[in-house]
Amino acid sequence: MNYLFNPDNWEWVITGNNLRFILEGFAVNLEIAVIAMVLSLISGLALALLRLAPWAPVSFVAGAWIDIWRNLPLIFIILYLALTIPGAWPDAYEDAIPSWFPEGLQSGRVLAAILGLVLYNSAVLAEIMRAGIQSLDRGQNEAARALGMTYGQSMRHVVLPQGLRRMVPATVSQLITLNKDTTLVSIVAIQEVMRHGRILTGTNFFGGDVPVPILQVFLLIGALFIIVNLALSRLSRRLEVRERKRTAAVKPVRDLAEQAA
Amino acid sequence: MGDLISVLTDNLDEWLAGFWVTLRIVLVAFAIAMVVGTLVAALRIAPNQWLQRLGGIYVETFRNVPLLVLLFIAFAGLRRAGADIGPWEAGITSLGLYTAAYVAEALRSGVFSVSKGQIEAALSLGYTYPQTLRRVVFPQAFRTVISPLGSLIIAMIKNSAIIGVSLLALDDLLKTARTIGSRGFEYSEAFFWAAVGYLTLTGLATLAVRLLEKRYAIRR
Repeated sequence: MNYLFNPDNWEWVITGNNLRFILEGFAVNLEIAVIAMVLSLISGLALALLRLAPWAPVSFVAGAWIDIWRNLPLIFIILYLALTIPGAWPDAYEDAIPSWFPEGLQSGRVLAAILGLVLYNSAVLAEIMRAGIQSLDRGQNEAARALGMTYGQSMRHVVLPQGLRRMVPATVSQLITLNKDTTLVSIVAIQEVMRHGRILTGTNFFGGDVPVPILQVFLLIGALFIIVNLALSRLSRRLEVRERKRTAAVKPVRDLAEQAA
Repeated sequence: MGDLISVLTDNLDEWLAGFWVTLRIVLVAFAIAMVVGTLVAALRIAPNQWLQRLGGIYVETFRNVPLLVLLFIAFAGLRRAGADIGPWEAGITSLGLYTAAYVAEALRSGVFSVSKGQIEAALSLGYTYPQTLRRVVFPQAFRTVISPLGSLIIAMIKNSAIIGVSLLALDDLLKTARTIGSRGFEYSEAFFWAAVGYLTLTGLATLAVRLLEKRYAIRR
């Protein structure tokens, strides 16, 4: 307990460049998270649509693809890609990446990490989106088709806007998981927050003469994730409430009664 | 193809040991998650506001921290603080406490699926609060939590892989694949068999959940 509350240990964390070093690492996590989120949402939607495609072979292949990737551990996928990706790919990535990109993403190793995150999360998100689309009353699609819309039009204008909106909470909680999972890329030696934490505490990691406050460093890193993830879930809740207000064509009578009271 | 088979048969003992370690991590950590998760869920639905808040803090904390950070805190961090904690204990408690937050949320929403009138009825019949929970609420809530708990076990199987390759270095399935793969640069073959192992576990869990759901479904 003494160790935990000793102010010297906490002071060490914020002295010199220590705090800055951790925050720099955390920024890399956020950058990787944003890229992986965007790519996973896009490819997840594509996978969900393929799985729901009215053509059996396509939907079978998409279903098998989704079920395999979402049932494997993410860290397994990242490690596998890092070990077996042909050496030419990371080189091509390093050549292709524009120089204005953040420094943490310039290394070719990031390719395996982002690819792994996207493969796994797009499969999970595809299942979430499929559930949302299928929870919609079939009559919606049938009515749209009866009105003369094509399959694509009915999806775009009727089914997807309603089905996806229902799945916003589940999607956001998966994105929070993705945000946490960016720490896993540290095992393929990307310089993000866990790596920086280890480097910072690296001298005598398992004991020794210099008592570097390992516990405090990682408590701080945990706190950073709590802050960002809580903000993310708050934001989604606010969006949800606003959306509900905007899309509710007929205000429930209950509101009127509350206003009167 | 010959390579693929021989990577499995030549190292069969190691593979089985790794599979067993993964299975044991999942089983023990799930037991911890269920116990702690039930306690936290009880806090969150307790009739006292401060207890509710305490449960809420637990859930929000453990749900929003990466498991890897928990592992570092539990192992390297606590060792530095003077606690005598081994990789196995650190691994199962981290995974257990992490999943407990999700278990608590699943149980809580299960409890809320039981209508309030039933609880009031039980209380007015003279049941104490714990009796009401045990005899009226939990048996009904159980049915609705089977499927979320099932997905938590599957998530746990996947998360157990983090323990082996992080600093704890327990020889679980993924660590075994890495070791065997590095021996003859047969990473693809070794990871193929690890994938088979993980997909077997997650597949079996999915099947079991489906059977349970069918068994306890309400016939209408």
